[in-house]
Amino acid sequence: MTSHPLGRPAVLLPLTAFGVTLVAFVLVPTYSDATIGSFDVYNTLQIFARLGPLALALGLTMIAGEFDLSVVGTYALGGMLTVQLGQEHVAHGVLAAVGAGAAIGLAQGCLIAGLRLPSMPVTLATYIALLGLTSALSGGLTKTYANVDVILWVDQTVLTWFSPRSLITLALFALAALVLAATRWGRELRAIGGDRRASRVAGVAVGPLLVGTFVASGVIAGLGGSLLSLSLGSANPDPGVQPLILAAAAALLGGVSLAGGRGSAVGLLGGILAVALLAEIATVTALPAYVTQLFYAGLLGIIVVVDAPDLHSALVRLRADLGPGNARVPAHPARNPHV
Amino acid sequence: MTVASTSARTGHELVRVDGLVKSFGSTRAVRGASFGIEAGEIHALCGHNGAGKSTVVKMLSGQEDPDGGEISIGGEVVDLRSRQAAQRAGVALVDQELSVVPSLSVAENLMLGDARTGWLNRARRSRRRFRALLDSVGLTHVALDRPLSSLGIGERQLVEIARALGQDARLLILDEPTATLSDVESEYVYASVRKVAATGCAILFVSHRLGEVLALCDRVTVMRDGAVVATAAADGLTVDSLIEQMLGEAPSRLDRTRAGRSGDVVLSVTGLSVPGRVHDFSISLRAGQVYAVAGQLGSGASDVLRALAGLVPAATGVVEVDGRRVRTGRPTVASAAGIAFVSNDRKTEGLFLDKPIGWNLLATRLPTLTRLGVVSRARWSRSVAELLGVCAIEPHRARDAVGSLSGGNQQKVFVGRCLHRDDVRVLLLDDPTRGVDVGGRAAIHDLLRSAATDGLAVLFSSTELEELLDLADVVVTMHKGDVVRTHVGDTAGSVLLREITHGGHDPHDPRDPHDRGVGAPAKELLS
Repeated sequence: MTSHPLGRPAVLLPLTAFGVTLVAFVLVPTYSDATIGSFDVYNTLQIFARLGPLALALGLTMIAGEFDLSVVGTYALGGMLTVQLGQEHVAHGVLAAVGAGAAIGLAQGCLIAGLRLPSMPVTLATYIALLGLTSALSGGLTKTYANVDVILWVDQTVLTWFSPRSLITLALFALAALVLAATRWGRELRAIGGDRRASRVAGVAVGPLLVGTFVASGVIAGLGGSLLSLSLGSANPDPGVQPLILAAAAALLGGVSLAGGRGSAVGLLGGILAVALLAEIATVTALPAYVTQLFYAGLLGIIVVVDAPDLHSALVRLRADLGPGNARVPAHPARNPHV
Repeated sequence: MTVASTSARTGHELVRVDGLVKSFGSTRAVRGASFGIEAGEIHALCGHNGAGKSTVVKMLSGQEDPDGGEISIGGEVVDLRSRQAAQRAGVALVDQELSVVPSLSVAENLMLGDARTGWLNRARRSRRRFRALLDSVGLTHVALDRPLSSLGIGERQLVEIARALGQDARLLILDEPTATLSDVESEYVYASVRKVAATGCAILFVSHRLGEVLALCDRVTVMRDGAVVATAAADGLTVDSLIEQMLGEAPSRLDRTRAGRSGDVVLSVTGLSVPGRVHDFSISLRAGQVYAVAGQLGSGASDVLRALAGLVPAATGVVEVDGRRVRTGRPTVASAAGIAFVSNDRKTEGLFLDKPIGWNLLATRLPTLTRLGVVSRARWSRSVAELLGVCAIEPHRARDAVGSLSGGNQQKVFVGRCLHRDDVRVLLLDDPTRGVDVGGRAAIHDLLRSAATDGLAVLFSSTELEELLDLADVVVTMHKGDVVRTHVGDTAGSVLLREITHGGHDPHDPRDPHDRGVGAPAKELLS
C-alpha cells in the first residue's frame, strides 16, 4: 500500500487553501463591483513580501517541533536597526538586522537545545524583551528612513507583478525549499520534529540542528523586518500581534503540523499566498475589519480541527454509532467458538 | 525456532570493553564490566532486568559517558561521547525502544542519522540498496516511499533493523531486536544478522529470549548486579544454566498446575469485528480461567484486546459483561463495565513514568480511596502497601518514580494496578511480558494466575509458545484476522505454531484436515 501524496495533509492543506482563495480572488468581479487588475496581483505579492518571512521563520521552527514567538520581536528590531544604522549605507542597516536576528536565534537555540527548555516561554520572554529593546532604541517613537532611492527601489514594479522585495522573499522560500527537500538538514529537521528521542538515537545531532533552525528563523525574521522598514520608509517599535497571528495561520494552512515533524517550504508558500490573497480580497471588496478577523478566526478553528489527531477516530466512532454495525449479530453464529 | 548457528568467528578480537563503570546518583549501574567480541562473532549479553546490560549498551553506542574503563575497537581506544562519535567509530545500534520517525517515509528512515549520506539528499541513488535491505528483513511488500506511520509496530522495528544492517558497521548492537516480532519475522532478522556477521562485523545481541540467544549466538556474557559474572560459549550452555547464572540461583519452575476453578461466564463476545483486522470473533470467558489469544503481529490478536477495551472506534459486535451489553469503541464505558486493560506499550499507554510508584498503583482507583471527594491518607497508604506486596516491590520505594524501576518491575506495577479491585471483572493484557526478563516474566505469570484465582476472567495475547503453554487454560489461535481454533487444556506446541503461522493449513499437505472452516474444530473440542 502506498499513500497518494495528494492525500497527505502537508500537500492537501496548502493546495486546497491556495486553490480556493485563488478561485475566490478571480471571482471577485462576479460577486462585487470591484475589478481585478495587475495591480491587485502586485499588491497581493507585496502582502506576501510583508508576511512571508515571518511565516517562513515561524514555520521552520514549527517543523522542528518548536514555536518561535520571538519572530515578531526580531522583525521589529530588524526594521529599527535598518532605519537607524542604514541611513547612509543601506547594507549596514540590513547586515545589522540580519546579524541581530542570527544572534537572537543563536542565544535562544542554545538555551532551548542546551538546557532542553520548552521554546514557548523562552521565545515569549525574548519577544517581550525585544519589543522593549526596540522601544528603547527608538525612544518609543516611529523612526523614519530618509534614503528615498532605496525606498523607491525596493517596491518598484518588476515584470508587472513583482517588486525586488517580493522577489527577495520568493528567493528565501526557494532557498528554504531546496534545503528542506534536497538536503540531509531538511530530512533531519522533520525527524527531530516528529520524534526527537528516536532521531537522537538514530544519530541525528539534535542540539546543533535545533540551534541552526533558530538562527535561520532569526535571520529570516530580521531580514523581513528590514525589508518592510525600507518599503515603508519607517520603523515601528511595536508591530502588534497581528503579523504573528497571520504568520501562524499561514503556516497551519501550509500544512505545517502543530505537533511538529510535518511541513515544507512549498506548502508554506501556498499557505502564505492564500493569506495574502484573502487580505487582498478583503481590501478590494472593502470588507469591514471585523469580518476579516472573524473569518481568520473561523479558518484557524477549521484548520486546527482538521489537523486534530483524534478527528479520524471520532469520525469512525460516529459512523460506527450511527450505522447498524454496532448492534449487528454475526451472520454465522455456528462458526464462532464459544468456550 | 529454526535458528541454526553457523559461526563466522575469526578469533581476532575486534571490540574490547575493559572495566566499564557507570553510576547514576548513588546507584552503581555497571561495576567494572569487561568482555570482548571477535570479528564475525554474534555475542549475547544477558542478564536479569537491572543487571546493567542497557547501561553497557548505552555506553557502547555513545548515549552515556562511562565514569571509568575503556572501550577499544580494532585495537584502538575510542571515545564515544555521542551517537555521532559512536557512528564514526563504526558502531550501529538497534535500540531497545523503537527509534524510527513515523512522520518520515521508509526510505528517509533508512537514511536517518547516517553520516555517510552527505549533506545532499541522494535517496534516488540508494534506492536499490534500500530495497535490498528491506527485502533482507522480509519487508518485500513495503514501498520505500510509504509513510512509516502506515506500518505496524513490528514492521517499523524491521525498518530500524534494516537501517542498522545497512550501516556497514564494525560493531552492530541489537538490543531486544525481536521483542515485538513474530517468530517468522524473527527468522528474517536471524538470517540477516548471520549474513552481517559473515562480513567480519562484531555483533552484540541483547535479548530476554534465551532460546533465541543459545541458538543464534556464539558466546554469551552474563551480567548480574552491574558486573560480568561469566562469558562462555553458547554451545556449552542450556536455558536452565543460563538462568542460574543470571539469577545466581537455580531457576524455580513455575507452578503450571491449572488450578483455576471455572466460574460463571463473565465476558461474552459475539461477532466482534474490526474492519481489515478482525473478522467475526466470538468468545465467552469464565471467571477463574486464563485465556490466551495467540497470533503473530497482524493476526488480529492484539486488535481483539484493544477492541474489547473500547480503544478501537470502528469495532462492531456484541460485548456483554455479566450479561449487560457494553458499547464498543468507548474506553470509559468498557472500564466502567469492569474491563481493565494492560497495553503492550507501558511507556506511552500505561504508566506515568515521572510519578511515584505508589501514585501509579492507585491512579485508576481514586474513587475507592476518597471520602466526599477528598483522598483518605490512611486508605491511600494501606492500598499502596498492599499492592507493593502483591507486586513484590520493596515498600521503601513507594515514593520513587516508576521510571526508575527496571522494565520487569514497571510491568508488574502496570499489572498490579488492575488487581485487587472490586470493580474489575475482566483483565485484558496485550503481550504482558514483552521485553521482560525471565524472573520478571515468572512474577507476572504468578500475578495473572492469582488474579484468576481471585475470580477474574483473564485474557492475554502472546506470540510466545512457551508462555501460551505455561499460562493459559484456553488458547484461541488467530491468523489474518480469523479464529483458527480454540484449544482447551494441554496442546502440542507444534500445533499452535502451525496454526499461528499458517492458519492451521499444512502447507505441504493438500488434504490438510484443518481446512474445515473457522471455528469448526473448536466446536468439536467443546462438545
